[in-house]
Amino acid sequence: MSGEVAGEVRVVVAVVLQTVVVVVAAPFLVGVLRQVRARWEGRVGQGLLQPWRDLVKLARKEPLQASGSTVVAWVAPVVVLGSGLLLAALVPTVTTAGPARLPADLFVVVSVLLVGTVALGLLGLDAGSAFGGMGSSRHLTIAALVEPTVLLAVYALSVPVGSTALGPIVEGRLADPGRVVAPAGVLAVVALAIAVVAETARIPVDNPSTHLELTMVHEAMVLESSGRDLAAVELGSWLRLSVLLALVANLVVPWGVATAGDGGPGLPALALGVVAVVVKTAASGVVLATAEVFMAKLRLFRVPELLTGSFVLAFLAVTGSYVIG
Amino acid sequence: MSSGDASQAVALLAGLELLTAVLLAWRGPASSPRGPLAVQGFALAGLVAVIGVAEGEPVLWLVALLVGVLKGVVLPTLVVRRPSRAAGPAAPPAADRPATVRPVVRPAVVRGRSRVPLLLGAAGLVVVAYLAARPVTRVVTGATGQALPVGFALVLVGFALLATGRRSQSQLVGFLVLDNGIATTAFLATGGVPLVVELGVSLDVLLVVLVLQVLGSRIDTAFGAGAPGGTDLDQLRELHD
Amino acid sequence: MAAVLTAPLAAGLAAGFTAGPVVGPALVWVALLGPALCALAVLLLRRRAVVLVADVVASSVVLLCGGALLAGVADGGAAVVTAGGLLRVDPLAGYLLVVVGAVALTATWGGLSPGRARSRRGGRYTTLVCLFLAAMVLAVVADDLGVTWVAVEGTTITTAFLVGFAGGRRAVEAAWKYVVLASVGVGIAFLGLVLLYAATRAAGDPTLSWVRLVTDRPAVDPTVARMGLLLAALGFATKAGLAPMHAWLPDAHSQAPAPVSGLMSGVLLAVAFGAVLRIQRLDAVLLDGAAVRTLLLVGGLLSLLVAAVLVVTQRDLKRMLAYSSIEHMGLVAVAAAVGNRLALAAMLVHLLVHGLAKASTFVMAGRVLAVEGTTAIADVHGLVRSAPRIGIPFLAGAVTLLGLPPSGLFLTEAALVVAGLRSGYGWAMAIVLVLLLVVFVGMGRAVIAMTLGAPAPAGSSEPAAAATEALSAPLAPVALALAAACLLALATPLAGTLDSVVAVIGGAP
Repeated sequence: MSGEVAGEVRVVVAVVLQTVVVVVAAPFLVGVLRQVRARWEGRVGQGLLQPWRDLVKLARKEPLQASGSTVVAWVAPVVVLGSGLLLAALVPTVTTAGPARLPADLFVVVSVLLVGTVALGLLGLDAGSAFGGMGSSRHLTIAALVEPTVLLAVYALSVPVGSTALGPIVEGRLADPGRVVAPAGVLAVVALAIAVVAETARIPVDNPSTHLELTMVHEAMVLESSGRDLAAVELGSWLRLSVLLALVANLVVPWGVATAGDGGPGLPALALGVVAVVVKTAASGVVLATAEVFMAKLRLFRVPELLTGSFVLAFLAVTGSYVIG
Repeated sequence: MSSGDASQAVALLAGLELLTAVLLAWRGPASSPRGPLAVQGFALAGLVAVIGVAEGEPVLWLVALLVGVLKGVVLPTLVVRRPSRAAGPAAPPAADRPATVRPVVRPAVVRGRSRVPLLLGAAGLVVVAYLAARPVTRVVTGATGQALPVGFALVLVGFALLATGRRSQSQLVGFLVLDNGIATTAFLATGGVPLVVELGVSLDVLLVVLVLQVLGSRIDTAFGAGAPGGTDLDQLRELHD
Repeated sequence: MAAVLTAPLAAGLAAGFTAGPVVGPALVWVALLGPALCALAVLLLRRRAVVLVADVVASSVVLLCGGALLAGVADGGAAVVTAGGLLRVDPLAGYLLVVVGAVALTATWGGLSPGRARSRRGGRYTTLVCLFLAAMVLAVVADDLGVTWVAVEGTTITTAFLVGFAGGRRAVEAAWKYVVLASVGVGIAFLGLVLLYAATRAAGDPTLSWVRLVTDRPAVDPTVARMGLLLAALGFATKAGLAPMHAWLPDAHSQAPAPVSGLMSGVLLAVAFGAVLRIQRLDAVLLDGAAVRTLLLVGGLLSLLVAAVLVVTQRDLKRMLAYSSIEHMGLVAVAAAVGNRLALAAMLVHLLVHGLAKASTFVMAGRVLAVEGTTAIADVHGLVRSAPRIGIPFLAGAVTLLGLPPSGLFLTEAALVVAGLRSGYGWAMAIVLVLLLVVFVGMGRAVIAMTLGAPAPAGSSEPAAAATEALSAPLAPVALALAAACLLALATPLAGTLDSVVAVIGGAP
């Protein structure tokens, strides 16, 4: 009995640690992305700490809201941040262990993602400005195309494991590395990677550093936010980016993640897990930023084509996982 | 190589072929099909080699080499390279009547249809292929049977590419995917047709691609277009009833 | 013409045949390598005389070897096997060789053109025609179905540039569509052969050898074998011009030079159909034969329908002849589907007679084009009076094709209908007769408008060089071919030979 309680406590500790690590690391990851991009473009760059400095600066400022904005304007940032935190707790980044009562199930995770997405969309609409509405409509269009891909891709990964929870999926790949190179697995991860790029508003779907009104999506929605609200929205978005990147990294290279084990992960395993996930995510961030430098943003009309492609890959992964393993 | 390793390798290579087929369907009109085609060709060659090891047939090593060179290097190169207008056996009759050749207009943006229907169609075709291959999978023993639907899928996707391709290059790419699908089916289902047939088939495919390439450049000359990937074949509507 | 001319020679050779086992294989190799050597000679020598006659020589070689081989293997003779079993001449192969040789001789002799031989690209033309012949011979004599496939694909490759020979937009368009559709169709046939091979492999004896499959009858998995045979039949039927896979045919036939159109229409279709016949035989031996029979029946009737609809509305002479080829291949397919001995014998004679008549008519159509400068039906009038050396043979060829009584086609079509009624295909025969009538009316009307009646007032008095050449071109090949087309079906001595050919493809009595 006491052993079970101890295991429970260790799991909770692990999850809290994982959340804290992700929250601390997310702005750094954004810093890495910006810095790599700057170096490729021949600029000195702002340094890895700048996103943190921005966050602190914004958090100190009082939010100003447009006249005519409603309760959504202050609820939505909280929801966005909350969904980001929940994702950080649920998705296996540092450890695959998770609280038994709140399973990191595929459908739960996708729903949490979607809550954040919808909150952000409502936030863009709330002030009633033209840009915000435009950004929201684009954002939700993309989201509607992305969610099926995410569902299908993770479903394809879940077939060999027999569970739709993310933790066992990552553990299964750790136990049987052959699955990492199995065709269905490869297709699913590629599809998931494209979906993540779209979901986190990166090139070629959206340009995170543009304020060109014809092309921006994410930036258009947060134009009306300021101060603490903006800080919450930005941190929430960064959390999504970090968690999803870390998930893809863990699926491709599952080694180093702290497994649930018998009685929850021990401290050495957790320490290794933290180091591993930081290294893996930073590495994938470098890859992502490098790829963004060499790619042009797609015209909005071409985005559905890209997302259909990733959907087809995910679909093939599902059929493939039943037939060729 | 144990049979487990062999079937894993076969699955991986077959998956790679399928992935490249989807990439080719996904490809925008301006991007080169050479890379995916080459990868597909090498994957096929690898498949042959794996089967050769698994079944202990050294002759398949030779075939793997042939397939690798032909489908991994020669054909992808041929597809993207236009024979130069002046040289080669094509020597189109343009020299006789240069006045009738329209000025070459290169569109700044390559027009392209949306690939969405083709991509979704490809997904559907893969399912059809899995269903169609089921009776064949039953009679094929060994490590290769389960990957057999990939060959069928490649045939169907190649068909779709060929039927929807608007430019000579896209149709050629469809033809090659179709051919790779047939070859994949052949190796997976039978461990390779007799060597003399294999040689003849390879030679035929090479010649067909050469012929189509020469005809493609003649079409470019006759219809006076120089868009990347060849003339828009929708212009070919002079012959009808 | 074939058997008439070569009978004495063939009889002599047949005597040598039984004497020594060397003669038969040697003849196979001569038939195969003769055209290839002719092509090589054109490439190496480049003399005008060589360029001019090489394809005629090649056709004659094929005809002579084919006649001798047929005389040797028919009437109970053993099949000639060589190249380690890859090549095998049974009565069907011998008969198809005769068809190839006779029709090719008509087309190449009738298509002799000193003007083309003088031109820069004349050498290439003759080389390709010779290689085309070699590929067709290989397709016919190959026993291994894989080799047959390679050869059939080879015919596409060698004819691609012949179809586009005239240059210009229409010719390259036709060539492109032809190569793409034919390669894909034949590719499907290869997929079918692969499945067949997989089925035999699962049955413990991997082989694509036709004769081994027919004699050993391996216990193949029926589903896979049926899939394979159907795909193979479908693929080869594409090349045989059966609807709905016929789309390449009118374009290619209308744009190719006239002798090439004649070759493609008269023999290429027959050679491809020979492959279909072998597939059908396999289906009957290994399975119940129903699948391929249905395919042939549906394809045949559909071809007749397509031809009937489009012949009536046709405005171009060469396209009309192309649709007439689709019509005749449809008849042949229906006959193969009926499958009793009478129907199969009628089908075989039909292939030969149609080939001779079609090659002659295409040759004459080429001369019409040279003289009138157009193949538009509406622009040609009163040929018989304005240019009797062209008008009369053209009319004779067209009438033969239409199957009016002196023509062999009349007898074969009548035999087909009788055979069909006897085997319980009454409804199909009713459809066949109606569609034949439609084609007859449509094509007859066009031919009469072009040949009979008053000629259009002559525009220019100065005939072009091509027209002069066409007006003085030899009529003997066309006359011989048409005479043979009318007499062959009546030649009773051929009955024994036909019987042995029918036995190969298994006609039930």
